[in-house]
Amino acid sequence: MSPKASLALLFGVCAALGIMRADLPSFAGDRGRIELNFWNGFTGPDGRTMLRMIRRFNEQNPDVRVSMQRMDWATYYNKLMVAAMDGRGPEVFVIHASTLPRMHRAGFVSDVRGLFEGPEGVPQDDFDPYVLNQVRYGEKFVGLPLDIHPQGLYGNADMLKEAGFVDKDGHPRLPETREEFLSAARKMRKDLDGDGRPDVWGFALTLWRNNFQSLMPQFGGRYLDEKGNADLDNPGNVAALEFLSILQKEKLVPPPENGLGWVGYRQKKVAMVFDGVYMLGDLQRLNDMPYLGGPIPLIGKRPGTMADSHVLCVREGLDSRRRQASARFIKFLSANSVEWAGAGQVPARRSVRQDPEFLKMPVQSAFARQVPFMLYPPRTTILFELTLEIDLAVEKVMRGRTNPAEALRIADENAQRFLDRDRRERGTMP
Amino acid sequence: MAPYALSFLTFVIVPVGVALVLAFMQFDLTARDQIQYVGVRNFDDALKDAYFWQAFRATFAFVVLMVPSIVVTALAMAFGLNAMTTGRNTVRALLFLPGMFNVAVAGILWQWFYNGQFGLFNFALKHLGLPPQPWLSDRDFAMPSIVVMSLWWGLGGTSVILLAALQQIPRAILEAAVLDGAGHRALLHRITLPLLRPVLLFIVVTNTIGAFQVFGQPFLLTRGGPELATRGVVQYIYETAFNNYRMGYGAAMSWLLFAVIAVFALVQYRFLRRSAH
Repeated sequence: MSPKASLALLFGVCAALGIMRADLPSFAGDRGRIELNFWNGFTGPDGRTMLRMIRRFNEQNPDVRVSMQRMDWATYYNKLMVAAMDGRGPEVFVIHASTLPRMHRAGFVSDVRGLFEGPEGVPQDDFDPYVLNQVRYGEKFVGLPLDIHPQGLYGNADMLKEAGFVDKDGHPRLPETREEFLSAARKMRKDLDGDGRPDVWGFALTLWRNNFQSLMPQFGGRYLDEKGNADLDNPGNVAALEFLSILQKEKLVPPPENGLGWVGYRQKKVAMVFDGVYMLGDLQRLNDMPYLGGPIPLIGKRPGTMADSHVLCVREGLDSRRRQASARFIKFLSANSVEWAGAGQVPARRSVRQDPEFLKMPVQSAFARQVPFMLYPPRTTILFELTLEIDLAVEKVMRGRTNPAEALRIADENAQRFLDRDRRERGTMP
Repeated sequence: MAPYALSFLTFVIVPVGVALVLAFMQFDLTARDQIQYVGVRNFDDALKDAYFWQAFRATFAFVVLMVPSIVVTALAMAFGLNAMTTGRNTVRALLFLPGMFNVAVAGILWQWFYNGQFGLFNFALKHLGLPPQPWLSDRDFAMPSIVVMSLWWGLGGTSVILLAALQQIPRAILEAAVLDGAGHRALLHRITLPLLRPVLLFIVVTNTIGAFQVFGQPFLLTRGGPELATRGVVQYIYETAFNNYRMGYGAAMSWLLFAVIAVFALVQYRFLRRSAH
């Protein structure tokens, strides 16, 4: 066979295999089985838990086969958007509640209110109204919240015990109030080599923006006002940012160029950090990490933290067989979300949060105590731009380049400009 | 030729044409029912956009630092390699090696080098009794740090091109100049550099175009921070189009960047070509 003929044959075989892979799922004797593609960004240890759940679902539902595709969240949203736009997207996919407004506007997220209907339906009152409202658009529900991932406080148990933070039984505990928190941060900051620079820090910031957003609700802060206009420079937000700037001024956190944070916490160079419940999976992999996890201490006037949810969504335009199979899969994941919680999540369903198995998960159940006080990112289609403005405001303050009120005033002005542009382009400008 | 023409048409001409059309449209992927022709509004918005100008300033800073640095360093490397009698191929291969890394690999590697706590550079400084430096976390340090990484990554290819050009200079011309009494400096200024000018023209123009399009290095090392000090135009276009899904506005900014690059390339080309003659 000539080289040209060999190449042509190779090309033909590849093309044929590609076509079969894409369009002939029944080729391997699976005739009649419904194939569901499930996309998400669970690339960490949580992905392995989800894979286990999917295997179990596939075993229990021989007429359906779910295949999972995972990729990092940034890539994921781009791919999902492009794929879903022309109907090539997955049947079932995960979207953060905060991202839902944009995906909903893009028009490929289907109304799944049927999930709540009928004797087999998921009871609506099993969800906190605030959480369920994140997926509600009028009468429509465009997804089912699988979990809640609030920010909370992680602490090194050994360091806390050494600093005297113990309960009545002598077990290490996390600080719960502003005074305790500041005292713990001071006590656990240590200059081991006597060079005048701390080598161990009592507290370090992780993702600055998230740390700020975690404090916002405690001071009565918010993103938007009742009319949907930007309200980033409200007194609550300013007070929350002022608290972070005090930590910096009093050298209770490493300087901005230091780069510690979650990595420093893992390496026991930092005693306490704020981060999401999803970081638990990372800690569970460390053999010698004595960690504790719990609510963000009461720093402001009331308890509160930032949170978000993974929402299970179905693509618009599926035939009824695929739609029913998707619904069955989503109900399975929701009903079994205690297993999902093991990967470092708080189940969205109240009944699952009362499950003894969940209550035995110390960090997850402690984070879950914050559910009544959570603040989700705003339901806006300009989320990326708004988030960038918050990032810049926090960064300027933490680097000492401006004060919280001024930084948030600029952020607010810019955010309003983006909101106005979006409304003008959509023709919804009042 | 036909396969090449077909792929050129499909992957270059058609996307460029689509981008041109998009630049005059309000095209938001999340609101495809509201796509409409808006004339030059996207261009007008870009020229009034403070973040667009900030991105341009960051890009200019990179171009101004990067292009002269790489041309001078690569020229010095090429002269050094040309003068070597043994081991030239080994050194050339080592110099070329970083350029074979994907930008993601190079970026991750240099992220570790520059890490404030655990990085190689601060480790070395500590052992020399010097204080650690905020390589990527300080506004004044970040861009020069990105340039140093880019130099390491891009130096090999540029040096090898200049070395090849140096080796093309006929020995007879150099020997005749020496016989006429030319010293090292005269040889460099009157023979070598003038004969290298066509290649230098190519190097300067291609490196300027590449520097204006910088994306991977700052995106991986700093994500455009601190405080957007290293967010170049291409990253801003990427974020506008693929994070905010505003394709029309992103396309308009792409055309503005193209116009700036074209002007610079043309000016450099004319200037260096005139010098060459």
